[in-house]
Amino acid sequence: MATENLPETAPQLPSFVRSTQYAEDAQLKTDEMIINMGPQHPATHGVLRLLLTLDGEIVRHTEPVVGHLHRAQEWQAQNRTWYQYQALIDRVDYLSGMFTSWALARTCEELDGLKIPKRAEYLRVIMSEMNRITSHLLWLGTYLIDLGAMFGFPFYPFRDREKLLDLLEAVSGQRMMFNYIRIGGVQSNPPLGWFDKLKEFVDTFPSCIDDYEAIVTENPIFLKRTKGVGVMSKELAMSYGVTGPCLRASGVPFDLRKDRPYSVYPEIDFKVISLTGQGDDTWARYICRVAELRESNEIIRQCIEKIPGGTTEELRKKREECKACGKADCANCGGDLAIMVKKQNSGIRIKAGEGFVPVESPRGVLGTYITSNGTDKAARIAWRNPSFSNLSVLPELLVGAPIADIMSVFGSIDVILPDVDR
Amino acid sequence: MADIDTKIEIPEELKSTVSLSNLDFLVEKLTKVVDNLVDPVANWARSNSVWPLTFGTSCCAIEMMSVGMSAFDISRFGSEVFRATPRQADMIITAGTITRKMAPALITLYEQLPEPKYVIAMGACTITGGMFNDSYSVVQGVDRIIPVDVYLPGCPPRPEGILDALLKLQQKIRTESYGERRQRKYAQTAVRHVDYDTGLPVETLQALVEEAREEMPPAASNEQKSA
Amino acid sequence: MTEQPEAAKSAELPQEIPLGPYGQFLKDLGIGSTRLPDSVGTAGKVETIEIDGMDLHQAMKSVRGSETRMDFLLMVSGVETNDTWDSVYHLWSYEDSTKELVVKVRVPKASVAEGKLPAVPSITPFWPAANWHEREEYDLLGIKYFGHPYLRRLMNPWDWEGHPLRKDYKQPVDALNDKNPHSMR
Repeated sequence: MATENLPETAPQLPSFVRSTQYAEDAQLKTDEMIINMGPQHPATHGVLRLLLTLDGEIVRHTEPVVGHLHRAQEWQAQNRTWYQYQALIDRVDYLSGMFTSWALARTCEELDGLKIPKRAEYLRVIMSEMNRITSHLLWLGTYLIDLGAMFGFPFYPFRDREKLLDLLEAVSGQRMMFNYIRIGGVQSNPPLGWFDKLKEFVDTFPSCIDDYEAIVTENPIFLKRTKGVGVMSKELAMSYGVTGPCLRASGVPFDLRKDRPYSVYPEIDFKVISLTGQGDDTWARYICRVAELRESNEIIRQCIEKIPGGTTEELRKKREECKACGKADCANCGGDLAIMVKKQNSGIRIKAGEGFVPVESPRGVLGTYITSNGTDKAARIAWRNPSFSNLSVLPELLVGAPIADIMSVFGSIDVILPDVDR
Repeated sequence: MADIDTKIEIPEELKSTVSLSNLDFLVEKLTKVVDNLVDPVANWARSNSVWPLTFGTSCCAIEMMSVGMSAFDISRFGSEVFRATPRQADMIITAGTITRKMAPALITLYEQLPEPKYVIAMGACTITGGMFNDSYSVVQGVDRIIPVDVYLPGCPPRPEGILDALLKLQQKIRTESYGERRQRKYAQTAVRHVDYDTGLPVETLQALVEEAREEMPPAASNEQKSA
Repeated sequence: MTEQPEAAKSAELPQEIPLGPYGQFLKDLGIGSTRLPDSVGTAGKVETIEIDGMDLHQAMKSVRGSETRMDFLLMVSGVETNDTWDSVYHLWSYEDSTKELVVKVRVPKASVAEGKLPAVPSITPFWPAANWHEREEYDLLGIKYFGHPYLRRLMNPWDWEGHPLRKDYKQPVDALNDKNPHSMR
């Protein structure tokens, strides 16, 4: 029987089990097969096609085929005016629509030399951090679906996401494509009672995160699936241009909000979540993102306290005193309390020049490299998407991993396909 | 048996091999009777358990996920599960932009769905190309490649919109008749402009097949064999 | 001296901008560069230099490795201007947050033969971050990065004809997108 020929160091398997050691001893040749993990699969990350070269169940080589969602958004930028293009870019990274709008707006404002009123900046930060929370919650839900916890756990993050989406819908009119952050400021003030509801959410959210952590973080199945899986070393991440929680989980504390602070982030007290020595694996990335949920919550809480003009009711009282005169130096409605530096019209133009000023989105460094020639259309807008660079690391992470690790690793990188394909 | 309304026509070349018996006519007649009894029940049962395929390309997929979650629960309308394989699904909700690169995959999925199958075109991108209406790589509306039953506008449509589309589809299913389905009157095929195996446009492929057919010897030997 | 203001007004004559710190650093290593007008970055003005394609490898390696340690390649993008094909490299530093550099390689359109693609050396062999960016620029703009291990189309299907982001690109109009003849094709 096969077991009699095994060397002594191998475990004693029952007689009906044929071990692979036997196959190697007998020098059986195994073939590699190329399997297609097609553009449609139930892991709801969009359309990514992976051509896997498998040796049994071990992945030897991966080739990702992207472009199934290439919608020519850079081409659109050359054929739409600045005013029109602002409405279209939420779809570049649909889970962080605020950040894509902010990326375009920030570069345009730096090119044009506009200074944004303080209240607009605070509103931008509040909405963006809310968007970061919704994006990470959706990531959490779909990541657990990828790992197999299909119908139990994901209902909780989606339930909390709905609360935030209601608030975002109240302020911008849309659940996902906000079109809220414009060149020069923000679209509108939140309605009455909005800040109170947000304060309620902010007070109750940490206990929701505690619930998620209680179910997931110490779960033995989850630990087995994610510990030691998809190890991305610091050098690998840095040489591939990886940013965001993937990089921070590998030990590089690079967060654009602290490294090159912008907007009102210098006035807010928050931490950069970075893990060193925790294994640089998918579990570390999960911990990073969950901790970022807490930090975003903190940021929103501080912003609500510090926003100039306060809540909408307080702002309205101030405006009644001067009858909303709109003067730039008015203490009640101008200067820091405005939300738009100058009202946009459809013929908005940006000064000629080039610029690249990115923002920190939930996935990493997101920015637009804009070449402007002073007309009402851009000459060239090139997007720098975090998911594009993060996804290019995937073939390196999957070498030698069994099939079951593919979705675990891919889900932990948190890729949004239109971010990759534009 | 009374007069038979539907006579089944047999093509010339098959007359020697096919013979219809009275049993087939009986089944055809009975189907008409049974239709009136079974249709309401069968259609009600079918419409209340339409299981979609997990097909989400882009932003609309998030709203489709939200509609599957507890706030806008789609399973109370019968879509209990989203099946990952088209062989087990009833309908595709094309949630998201379909690009030229993705079109063959969608056509393959549609053809793999077993009858009866339905398509809800969700979102502006799948109805007419949406905001990418002059993009070089976006298919201007998914009804150029697969037949659509319900069009659902929005960018993205709210989850309640998806539920509305599902209810309209259920109304449509309830108007169907079993006899007509048996005569394959509801069957539609995906439109292939390019044969994705060879990469040739379909007209070229048809022309090649015609040429090959002309070069083949005539099929006179078959009749001698069967006689 | 009185002719200089008039010369400065005309757009034809490029003004000689004195080399900045990175330009000086490269000059000390023997790499000549031209300084272009500053572009805008996270801390205001960012030095933008143009180097010749043949010097690209050495410039990138030295800027990445030595005391400047610009080891974060953000993106490689391609731009088509009226008379050049540009390949633009944005470099940051992970440790030092004040360092930013933009490097451009410009291939004049006049030097590209008919039917050929503008050629720029690929930095993928030693900097994997550029891999997909260069493939994408090859796909969309037709800039050929020689030395790239796998220069195939990334976004469009592998047998697509033409480079869509070029100014003279005509979209294929067929059954899949033939409506609206007045749209901005």
